[in-house]
Amino acid sequence: MKPSTPSFTTDVVIGLEIHVQLDTKTKLFCSCPTKPVATKQNAEDVPNTRCCPTCLGFPGSKPVANKKAIDYALKLCLALGCSISETLVFSRKSYFYPDLSKNYQITQYELPLGTSGAVMLSTGKKIGLTRVHLEEDPASLVHPDSIERSAFVLIDYNRSGIPLCEIVTNPELASPEEARDFMKQLNAIFEYLDIFNADTCVVKADANISIKESGYIRSEVKNITGFKEIERALFYEVQRQNAAVAAGEKLVQDTRGWDAAKGITIRLRKKETEEDYGYILDTDIPVIDVTPEWIAQIKKQVPELPAEKVHKFVTTHKIPEEDALVLAQEKLLAEMFEKVAEKIDPILAAKWLRRELLRVMNMTKQTFKDLLIDEHHLIELLELVSTKQITDRTAQKMLEELIVKPFSPKAYVKEHGLGAVSDAGIIEQYCKEAIAENPGVLADYKSGNEKAFHFLVGVVMKKSKGKAVPNEVNSILKSLISH
Amino acid sequence: MTSIVQQVALFQQGASIEEHTRAVLAETREINEHYHYFTALCEKEALARAQFLERLSAKEKASLSLLGVPLTVKDALCVKGIESTAGSRILKGYRPPFNATAVQKCIDAGAVVIGKTSQDEFGFGGFSVNVGLGYQVPKNPFDPDVSTGGSSGGCAGFTQKTTFPHLSLAESTGGSIVEPASFCGVAGLCPTYGRVSRYGLIDYANTLDKIGPMAKTIDEAALLMDVIAGPDEKDGTTLREPCTVQNAAGKGVKGLRIGVVKEAFGEATDSVVAETVWRSIHVLEAAGARYEECSLPLTGAYGVPTYYILATCEASTNLAKLCGLRYGMQEELSGTFNDYFTAVRSNNFGAEAKRRIMLGTFARMVGFRDAFYIKALKARQLITNEYLSLFKKYDVLITPTAPVLPPSFAHLKKLTPLQHYMLDILTVGPNLAGLPHLNVPVGMHNGLPVGALLMGTHCAESTLVQAGACLEKNSKNEKK
Repeated sequence: MKPSTPSFTTDVVIGLEIHVQLDTKTKLFCSCPTKPVATKQNAEDVPNTRCCPTCLGFPGSKPVANKKAIDYALKLCLALGCSISETLVFSRKSYFYPDLSKNYQITQYELPLGTSGAVMLSTGKKIGLTRVHLEEDPASLVHPDSIERSAFVLIDYNRSGIPLCEIVTNPELASPEEARDFMKQLNAIFEYLDIFNADTCVVKADANISIKESGYIRSEVKNITGFKEIERALFYEVQRQNAAVAAGEKLVQDTRGWDAAKGITIRLRKKETEEDYGYILDTDIPVIDVTPEWIAQIKKQVPELPAEKVHKFVTTHKIPEEDALVLAQEKLLAEMFEKVAEKIDPILAAKWLRRELLRVMNMTKQTFKDLLIDEHHLIELLELVSTKQITDRTAQKMLEELIVKPFSPKAYVKEHGLGAVSDAGIIEQYCKEAIAENPGVLADYKSGNEKAFHFLVGVVMKKSKGKAVPNEVNSILKSLISH
Repeated sequence: MTSIVQQVALFQQGASIEEHTRAVLAETREINEHYHYFTALCEKEALARAQFLERLSAKEKASLSLLGVPLTVKDALCVKGIESTAGSRILKGYRPPFNATAVQKCIDAGAVVIGKTSQDEFGFGGFSVNVGLGYQVPKNPFDPDVSTGGSSGGCAGFTQKTTFPHLSLAESTGGSIVEPASFCGVAGLCPTYGRVSRYGLIDYANTLDKIGPMAKTIDEAALLMDVIAGPDEKDGTTLREPCTVQNAAGKGVKGLRIGVVKEAFGEATDSVVAETVWRSIHVLEAAGARYEECSLPLTGAYGVPTYYILATCEASTNLAKLCGLRYGMQEELSGTFNDYFTAVRSNNFGAEAKRRIMLGTFARMVGFRDAFYIKALKARQLITNEYLSLFKKYDVLITPTAPVLPPSFAHLKKLTPLQHYMLDILTVGPNLAGLPHLNVPVGMHNGLPVGALLMGTHCAESTLVQAGACLEKNSKNEKK
């Protein structure tokens, strides 16, 4: 269901319909597994091996609703601040397409499970949600060659009946960047709720895009898979519409497909009116009462969400909002920060987790799920930093090693003699040596070359094997030179 | 004639199941040749099954309530490995990989499935004349020029015709168990919606379909009812309440409050039918029941249109999957997938199936949906409420099962589709309300049977069996 056209105030108007695959073990209406089952013969997914009469739509088979999938959808609705329907009813959406085993899809129509929720962008702008509902995924079509060239199409029903949650936004996103931010926030929520597995589950979007110059004539881009692709497709589509209008073309309402390989949208069909799906109730699935007790029980499972974390980090931990936003984005990072901040100055902890930990993880391409170190390692490391027992530089290097093969930072420092040199006498000795060994550089500095000073600092650091505390070096060098 | 219980006892004492089954199959073949009650016979499978049962130990045999009993199954119910088409050419060749739960329960109780019985295509009809393309119309056991009723016509005709003990699994959407039972003079019990799992039933209309027993006597129908009823995790609409109707037969009707629905005895009903059913009301009265006339005005006025809108809306989505892509008939590939689907449907659905698909599709489309589908849902609720308010005063409601005597094929040919639909007027009400109802043969006229329809409130099957058995016992003399 599309919302009725409101009066637009932005140059670009985007509305998204996001389909997120819920990470359940079994399908929405039968007990077939949602993920590949490794067999002796095959470790990989073999087409049409995870199917039963129900997900194949055999005459006589019946769907039975998967409680876990409803729990997950309910959790998502609650996290998004939706009003929850008192009853859960499913409908049949009739259309003919080879990937649809029954030639109707079981979805929700009249009474979506959730309505009028919202997602807050990092800018604080709220994007309203029209509805959140549950539905089954159709099968997948496999073209042995390209779509144009294949003489036939193969159908794999392994996907048929996988539980999806559809999230429909109001047309309130004003740019592809905002859409990306929206997806980022939404993804963080999925992750916090533990209902979506980024490794095995898929996110797909249909996007409605219009620009002011065309009089907000809408194009719908179907089936964009993945977070990055959504922004790319939107970016392309805005440019395409702008270019078309600039060239004097008159845009028409249409439905387009996203070709990720070519990075373009392709017109699929002219969209004149809303397709007619002839919805009726699917009464094979009895009406399910969504009781206050059930809602309360699920509510207990909804953790503190990213937005709440940001608020807490800024107000109670007093860290910069910019850091809080990054930390809250990943559930495991946020949790780790909270644990570290119990022992370490939160501002220091935030800086190190947000910048250094992420930088190092990025280097080794690790995710939080496979991170080998825990908060104890970081607390130990940052204790050494905050008490100036090691320099930032030493700590950075240690973190790089720590992340590959964890160890005790304190023992490591002792063992390798990495303790920071803050003894003024020793530093002064190094400084004097540096000045004596580089008379030309000193002259340069005196004639106004600032860089020359840094060179001298570098020499001192080298002499101390990186263990000298930079601030100390600066002040001692300065006082020596100015004498 | 031997009853089911007696026959089972004979097998348990060592009588040969295989020998009996051979005789049953021979007779079945002979009957079918003349009366066309089957869409598929499964002699080989039945014999293998009989041999298997024969070899069981005495102890194992003692635990099987349907040991060796020949069972026929309406074609709309899936029997594993046996062609199951719901009487339609479009499903020709479909051999389900699983048994319908009701069938499985009978098999687990020791029954021997001997074949799939003929029906109106997908249950679309009340006379079994709308059989699918290429199928033969079943004939009434009392007169081969007369309809068996429908859509469970094969079940009803065969149940009457056999000389051996036999049970049949029938199915009703708008009256398809009781009406053919009435036309063929047998007992047919349509249970409360949800009593029997619909898993494995090729859908007609999901909110209306019910599987129920047909048998020569009320007692035997009750026996089968208890075997097939009960919750099923494969069908979320099944009820949890336990079902025990078997022992209700001997209870008598003393003090039972009976409501006689006066609209059902009006001008539209044949006077001989009305008179016969009135006689049976007095039979119940004589046995100690009290009766009173009552009224179902909303059901009388809106039952048929409400039924046809809901049933066809649901049917049109259920049949959408039959397009030659996955199950049953296929055609030569040509054109786009839409062209192909259209060709398969045009060539393989019968006229009535097409009519109902069109009607149902129309009634749920934008612009008509609110006026038809949604309004029919509301009407259905009002009809249900109307019944439930009567059941505060009465234990059983009674009407004729059909307003007319079993019609001849020649007569049926003259009727328009709408006139056909109007003949369902007495049976659509309890089906819309999901109420249990029972046909009891109560007399004969001109060599053709007349049935009384007993209706009870939800889950009151045992009350119906109680009243039905009393009526059956005391109407026996009239049957001859």
